[in-house]
Amino acid sequence: MKPAAFDYIAPKTVEEVISLLTTHEDEAKILAGGQSLMPIMNFRLGRPGLLIDINGLDELDYIKQQDDHLLIGGLTRERTVERSPLVRDLCPLLSQAISFVGHTAIRNRGTVGGSLVHADPSGEIPTAFCALDGRVKAVGPDGERWIDPGEFFLTFLTTSLEPTELLVEVKVPVLPQGTGWSFMELSRRVGDFAIIGVATLLFMNGDGTCREARIALGGVAPTPFRAEEAEEVLAGQAIGEELISRAGELAGEAADAEDDYHASAEYRQEMAKIMVSRSLRQALARTGKGN
Amino acid sequence: MPDPEARRWVGKRYKRKEDLRLLIGEGKFVDDIQLPKMKHAAIIRSPYPHALIKNIDTTQAEKLPGVRGILTGQDVKEMSKPFPCGVPIPPKYYSCAVDKVRYVGEPVAVVVADSRYIAEDALDLIQVDYEPLPVVMDIEEAAEPDAPVLHDNIGSNIYSHRLMQYGEPAKAFEEADLLVKGKFLFPKYGSTPIETYAVVASYNPVNQEFVIYNNYQGPFVNHSLVALALGIPENKMRWIVPTDIGGGFGTKTGVFPYIALIALASKKTGMTVKWIEDRREHLLASATGTDRVTYMEAAVKRDGTILALKDKAMDNTGGYIRAPEPGCAYRSTGNHTGAYQIRHLDREVMVVGTNKCLTSPNRGYTCQELYFSVERLVDMVAAQLGMDPAEIRFKNFIQPDQFPYTTATGGIYDAGNYQKAFQKALDIVDYPKWRQEQEKARQQGRYIGIGIATIVDPSVTNIAYVTTALTPEQRAKGHPKSGSGESMTIKMDPLGQVHVIACTNPQGQGHETVISQIVADELGIDPDGITVSNVVDTHDRVYTITTGSYSSRFASVGTNALVNATRKLKDKLFKIAAHLLEVSPDELVLENQKFHVKDQPEKSIAVRHVAGTAHWHQTALPEGMDVGLFASSLITMPTSKPPDELDRVDSSNTYGFCCEVIVVEIDPETCEIKFHKWASMHDSGTVLNPMILEGQVMGSITHGLGGALYEEFAYDENGQCLTASFQDYLCPTSMEVPDIDIGHVETPSPFTALGSKGAGEASCESVPVAVANAIADALAPLGVVINELPLTPSKIWHLIKEAKAKQA
Amino acid sequence: MQLKGKYEFNGTQQQVWDLFTNPESLAQAMPGCQELRETGPGKYDALMKIGIAAVKGTYTGKFEIADPDPPNRYQLIGEGSGSPGFVKGTTDIQLTGSNDKTIVTYQGEVQVGGLIAGVGQRMISGIAKMMLNQFFKKMKKELKASGSAGS
Repeated sequence: MKPAAFDYIAPKTVEEVISLLTTHEDEAKILAGGQSLMPIMNFRLGRPGLLIDINGLDELDYIKQQDDHLLIGGLTRERTVERSPLVRDLCPLLSQAISFVGHTAIRNRGTVGGSLVHADPSGEIPTAFCALDGRVKAVGPDGERWIDPGEFFLTFLTTSLEPTELLVEVKVPVLPQGTGWSFMELSRRVGDFAIIGVATLLFMNGDGTCREARIALGGVAPTPFRAEEAEEVLAGQAIGEELISRAGELAGEAADAEDDYHASAEYRQEMAKIMVSRSLRQALARTGKGN
Repeated sequence: MPDPEARRWVGKRYKRKEDLRLLIGEGKFVDDIQLPKMKHAAIIRSPYPHALIKNIDTTQAEKLPGVRGILTGQDVKEMSKPFPCGVPIPPKYYSCAVDKVRYVGEPVAVVVADSRYIAEDALDLIQVDYEPLPVVMDIEEAAEPDAPVLHDNIGSNIYSHRLMQYGEPAKAFEEADLLVKGKFLFPKYGSTPIETYAVVASYNPVNQEFVIYNNYQGPFVNHSLVALALGIPENKMRWIVPTDIGGGFGTKTGVFPYIALIALASKKTGMTVKWIEDRREHLLASATGTDRVTYMEAAVKRDGTILALKDKAMDNTGGYIRAPEPGCAYRSTGNHTGAYQIRHLDREVMVVGTNKCLTSPNRGYTCQELYFSVERLVDMVAAQLGMDPAEIRFKNFIQPDQFPYTTATGGIYDAGNYQKAFQKALDIVDYPKWRQEQEKARQQGRYIGIGIATIVDPSVTNIAYVTTALTPEQRAKGHPKSGSGESMTIKMDPLGQVHVIACTNPQGQGHETVISQIVADELGIDPDGITVSNVVDTHDRVYTITTGSYSSRFASVGTNALVNATRKLKDKLFKIAAHLLEVSPDELVLENQKFHVKDQPEKSIAVRHVAGTAHWHQTALPEGMDVGLFASSLITMPTSKPPDELDRVDSSNTYGFCCEVIVVEIDPETCEIKFHKWASMHDSGTVLNPMILEGQVMGSITHGLGGALYEEFAYDENGQCLTASFQDYLCPTSMEVPDIDIGHVETPSPFTALGSKGAGEASCESVPVAVANAIADALAPLGVVINELPLTPSKIWHLIKEAKAKQA
Repeated sequence: MQLKGKYEFNGTQQQVWDLFTNPESLAQAMPGCQELRETGPGKYDALMKIGIAAVKGTYTGKFEIADPDPPNRYQLIGEGSGSPGFVKGTTDIQLTGSNDKTIVTYQGEVQVGGLIAGVGQRMISGIAKMMLNQFFKKMKKELKASGSAGS
């Protein structure tokens, strides 16, 4: 398991990175945490001609609040986000989701930007990002642009980022006080890829009814996705057990799971239903309005 | 001999001497071997499970700068012979595929290059043309006459087949009040040691000698087999196994074909060649335990007495069969009836081949497969009789006053008190309380289950068992085999320090530490000052074919040899001291590093002076005595005898006991398993070092848990391996292992000098079936049939769904 | 793995048959197909570069349009092998047309072997289905394009 030969360069600025990407396009890969890229290269499943090591770009490592959003630099380590009091206070869904990413050693190196660009269909950060309607900022030869939530994940391991672009920033909303949130995952062992990952948000009205519900599922489709029919059933309602079950069922139906060695498609489908219900219950309890 | 109460070091939590060097990265492994001009090998492996090799084109690969040579199957065929194997018609098994591949991952060619990177680049340039052949993956299908045949020279896929009977099974079945039967499937799984296979081979054309560093774990019979395959005298092939091996578990018995392969690569290229197996190779093509299909039937009396067992067991060794197989089917002969007084057996034993990777012993070797059937069946018998599963076991246990107990199959169980150990486990769990909890839980629609397994853990292999693969008539015509020999040498240097040369070849079991404790007690010295070397070197060490660490033999035959050698040395010290003090040896006492006459402390001589004399004043020694101070012992357990004409054999020589009582709860929605309480009780005789033993027990429990819920070398119906990385081959981590109450009962073995027996494998044999029994018990009201592993949540979910549909 | 499904095409059965037995159309629609060379009646050699994101491999392949029963059905037999492993499949392609619409039904078995089978378990079926989907979408586009260009 030794990689094929590759060239290596460690640029010092974002401009250099873009310039390299523009020259090499598909032949180059960005090296950030390397937690997904290194195994791919060591297995020789992928053989990029050039590795562009961005670990020196400290300016991309930050977490800050800007009004009602959190801005997280693309190179911020997962462990940094996991331990950040700012994130825990203002966007706890993200903190909890990240705690499920692999093991501590992996999170010490893995980056938020890298995880999003890698776009593993069962990835915890992509799934939470989906529920949060997060946006990403990409920088390319034509300047910078923001990519909207629904447009970022295209299919397995594929995003709408151009080969000449670098993801530099992630923007997620600050969750209003009283918002219910939950991230849950079913996996074979602690730290494994999720058989199903669920991220839920309940934005509440003053009278205790739910203004808006968000339910994102990972691991049961080519990308994480929002179970919109299930969300609609909850919107505007006082949420109780019956609605939670109904939402769970609809979410389960929306899942498009495959058989594999670890679990059957039927089991995954059923677990989508179960885990969505459990996650909604946990989110509801966190609003302080559940009974 | 210091009596047990007077032991100062044995039985204490003496800290391991090995740990510091391992923790700071100063261990000495094969990969630490750096030799001048050493090159590196990579192996191209078959992506097909069964195919003809039409052509191998290496021309492009040979031109790559840095490539030093390529070895193909044709070369291997010309340079070596197939490995011998103890079955009537062995397959032609070479270290590399010749003409045909028979499992995904089988080596097809070896590239030798300046670096492993370049060698792997060269693999990409090798063109192999395959013609796929029909695949056979299912054990029972493989035994059918119309199955695709793996080896034309055998003509079928059945490598070994025997019928064996003990007692009067037919009569017992007639007398039974009830017959209970089941079919049981045990998965293919293994131990995935953290250090993979490693070989550094050099061939010296001047003296035609191979020198091969490797991490083979024993038994060293395979040294002879490799010599035979390479067509060379054994003393022209030197194996050196360094001080440290990162885990063996039986898996590192299977490195021997790679030793031959890399040796040939070295000979062909004229270079020293290093090959370090990577993890993917290990999961594709190293060695696993066998998967097994068992049909087992019990003849039972209404009061719960099990009169007889009738079973047909089919083991799968994969695309080929290689030594020490067919041990997979025969090694448990002596303990086939486990902890019970079952005197009548009817056995059909079959070993077959399918297009899966090959096997070797795997921690527990045969017993996890065997007890999966026996202990599941015992639970099923209890259920049919309406008897408590603990009660039926007490009913059938061998009684404490029956030891040493000879089983129907010739096993000589040395010591045990199964009732005491089992009761202790039940008490720790508070068994009656959990049965009550279970009742309550059932009314609430929750699934709580209690799983029990009570097993006999055999240790120290008697190699005679291999010949039970032959019929008594065939054995009578051939050469008998027997024994379990191990070697220890101890010496005292001129300044009085002690050094032990061990051949036990540990892979992390802490032999250096325990050896120090034992010698310290025997000689009344400090264990810190004792040094031990455990490098095995077939030139420079005294050893035999049974040498090595496998089958948990250190604690019995290893310690026997050590105590024997140490006492010889001590005896010599006494004789020299007596000679110098002009008294007889039995007038002397050894205390505080001094010999003195009883009740005359002033008439004394220091051990240091005795040692000095033995080396410095050699003619002062008693007449006829060897000078210096050393002693060796290369001994076998005396009970390691050949099988008799009724196929009875003491296949192992010490027999421990282990039981698990496990309380689980199954989440009714996700079918994940939670553990409420778990007691694991062990009797491995005298405990030599409780800390080391705890590590061993935790390791074997975790490995057993892996087999129950997580681990499997899985293949699809087309023969593709699905678990070629740790992403899919799931070893339990610390997060998956619950709190476990581990306890001990000590019934010292009368056959070992210290009363100790092997300990490291017991829970591997009991945990898979105990967990299965717990799950079956939890789901009993649904009538779910539990007869295979691993029990994943998805599988359990489907079983429940089907059972509910049937009930509706 | 078993793959099956159906797609509706806006064309007559004959038009769709012509599309599906035209090696250039097939090559255009197959993911990563770089070259297609005829080696015999209905038989072709191909060079494919298939991959998703960083996971890419080059495969040399062979295709055969076998047992044609124009304009109703045929068997598409294909295999490709490269360092990441091999892919082999046999698919039954069936056309059912009525007026200007034709339903293409496919049913087949695909085997994946080697490295990708051993380490890619999690995503293989999903990715295979996705690529099949892409293939049919491209074929539909081609039909549309040829329709507006020609008769």
